[in-house]
Amino acid sequence: MAVQVKVVRRPEPGSTSYLRAALKGMALTFKHLVNPTSVTLKYPEEQPELSPRWRGTHRMEVHADGRPKCVACGLCPTVCPANCIRLVGGEDDQGNRYPIVYEIDEFRCIFCGMCQEVCPVEAIHVGRHFENGEYTRERFVYDLDRLMEQDHPTTLLWDPSDPRSE
Amino acid sequence: MSDAKPSTVTLTIDGREVTVPRGTTLLKAAEALGTRVPHYCYHDGLSSPAMCRLCLVEVEGAPKPMPSCVTAAQDGQVVLTDEGRAREMREGVLEFYLVNHPLDCPICDQSGECKLQDYVHAEGRAHGRSREPKRVFGRDDFGGDVLFYGDRCVMCTRCVRFMNEVERDPRLTVVERGNRSVIDTFFDEGLDGTKWSGNIVDICPVGALVSKDFLFKQRAWDLDHTPSVCTGCSQGCNIALHTRDNLVQRVKPRTNLDVNAFWMCDHGRHDYEWMNQGERLEAPLAGRGSERIALGWQEALTRLAARLDEADGTSVRAVASPRSSNEDLAALRAMVDALGGGTIEFRLPMAADEDVLEGMPTLARRRELAPNHRGAELLGMKRVGDDSGAGGLDEAGAHEGILIVLGDALADQDTDFGAAADLFVMLGTHDAVAAANADFLLPISMHAEQEGTFTNRDGRIQRFWPGLQPPGAARPAWLILRALASHRGEATLPGTAAEAFAAVAEESGAFGDLDYPTVGTRGAVVPERAALAGD
Repeated sequence: MAVQVKVVRRPEPGSTSYLRAALKGMALTFKHLVNPTSVTLKYPEEQPELSPRWRGTHRMEVHADGRPKCVACGLCPTVCPANCIRLVGGEDDQGNRYPIVYEIDEFRCIFCGMCQEVCPVEAIHVGRHFENGEYTRERFVYDLDRLMEQDHPTTLLWDPSDPRSE
Repeated sequence: MSDAKPSTVTLTIDGREVTVPRGTTLLKAAEALGTRVPHYCYHDGLSSPAMCRLCLVEVEGAPKPMPSCVTAAQDGQVVLTDEGRAREMREGVLEFYLVNHPLDCPICDQSGECKLQDYVHAEGRAHGRSREPKRVFGRDDFGGDVLFYGDRCVMCTRCVRFMNEVERDPRLTVVERGNRSVIDTFFDEGLDGTKWSGNIVDICPVGALVSKDFLFKQRAWDLDHTPSVCTGCSQGCNIALHTRDNLVQRVKPRTNLDVNAFWMCDHGRHDYEWMNQGERLEAPLAGRGSERIALGWQEALTRLAARLDEADGTSVRAVASPRSSNEDLAALRAMVDALGGGTIEFRLPMAADEDVLEGMPTLARRRELAPNHRGAELLGMKRVGDDSGAGGLDEAGAHEGILIVLGDALADQDTDFGAAADLFVMLGTHDAVAAANADFLLPISMHAEQEGTFTNRDGRIQRFWPGLQPPGAARPAWLILRALASHRGEATLPGTAAEAFAAVAEESGAFGDLDYPTVGTRGAVVPERAALAGD
């Protein structure tokens, strides 16, 4: 097909008034001023309602004695599609397998939640939480201590009363 | 009359006909067709007790299922391995195996290479029906490098039979009976002092026997396997380097019936940390003492070639290492010959005794504690020094002329080494005290980082493959030496290890007419004539 060129003439200065368009815009603005069926929230006083399927930054469950529940099985770094989990396993003083290093790079993470799904001991969870602001990029690599300290709620995809969805 | 029987039998397995030698077991006959019959207790290197009951197959006309690992194939037999009753029986047997199994795959080191995991995943029931409590043994230290997790054991007794039949040092036995039976050692003596017991970890089909060295270190599925050759002694056991994160994580034997069958000694198995050693040389260094600077390869080789031309005519002496590959040693030989010829020496540590594997007398940890002394001898190099691998370099150290050191770390030499040399070139992996006088210190890759071959004590040439990335600008020694030769306009530069090996045939014929495809993964023996000529 041959290329066709349509020439649009720019209006001459002074021959066109923008007043009508401006009034139309203002009318819409004033309509919303008196009829606030709005979606805007007064954050942070008002908090949004998160979807039941919300998946936020991670947290690690701990045993009653403060040890992480993780047994360093290596399934989450294996399944992770973003390759954001670094795990080095080892033996603790009681002969148990435990994570010497467990780090999640929350910048690389795509929050698919597969780490939680694959975990055989219900240790790693994605959170129902979104306020993660930090002042440095390094702070977004969460190490094991940081993951254990997180106290935000876990996702509703996981029911603690029925941990294995049975 | 019985002599008249034909030497082969023809039978039908899963609807396909196969002809095998008389006396072949059904398991092997099925294998010839590519059908793997699941099994635990059967192992190619051990006797068959037919006790795991997993290889049961249905034989038409037989009143009950037959264990395929001990049943000899007969003419006209019709065997079903994967249908109807055979499959049902296996499912039943597997369910029994899981009655007491703790299902602790997440923390089990065998996970990912576990036969119980594989078979149950493929053919087992989705859920067990046993509601009884499981019996619990906990874990037991068997001594040596071996840990025993009794709960995971499937009582195949491969470990017991290995110790009885192959190592011939019966340290393990089955105690108790029925579902209380468990593998145990005698009088807490354990496996301490045994030299081959690491093999029972390899042949354990489940995670009952695990290595302490590898305990919780890596997951089996994360490891890359690279075929290689053990550098511990001159036996040249075929091994696989299991690597991850550019580190060798463990070493496993690789099956080669001509050399080590399925086994390797504990020395070789645990002698891998040196491959992960840090502080490597990463760039070519030129100049002695405070004048030493790092250069790129182009600049370093140009300068070195100029110095070699300058020193042309002076006498040449070289020190090699029996840990270097044939390609490296041959390149050194060619370099020395091109410079007018000279002595090449190597030093070789020797053990006091051989550790022979009783059940396989051709396999031992040999006295020569380096993988390639035979290759060095075939290339006309001479052994110097004592049995600890030290000394013998007084003449080389005081040599006036061109001195080349390849691979030898010179650990026992002091700063005077090579002080009198006109030109001292050292190719090594690490800096050394004795390298202080080196005019050129060139970084080379070691055997786990390059392709090459070793010649074992029987003159068998065996290939190994690179499993690690060499650090920085380190390159194979053969590439450096051959590049230097081509820089001086004397030869073409081989681009691959195969071409470097082929160059040997042209130069000296030390390895006969062998080439890489012939050597393959299993090795090939140097033809007799060539070996004699080399001597």
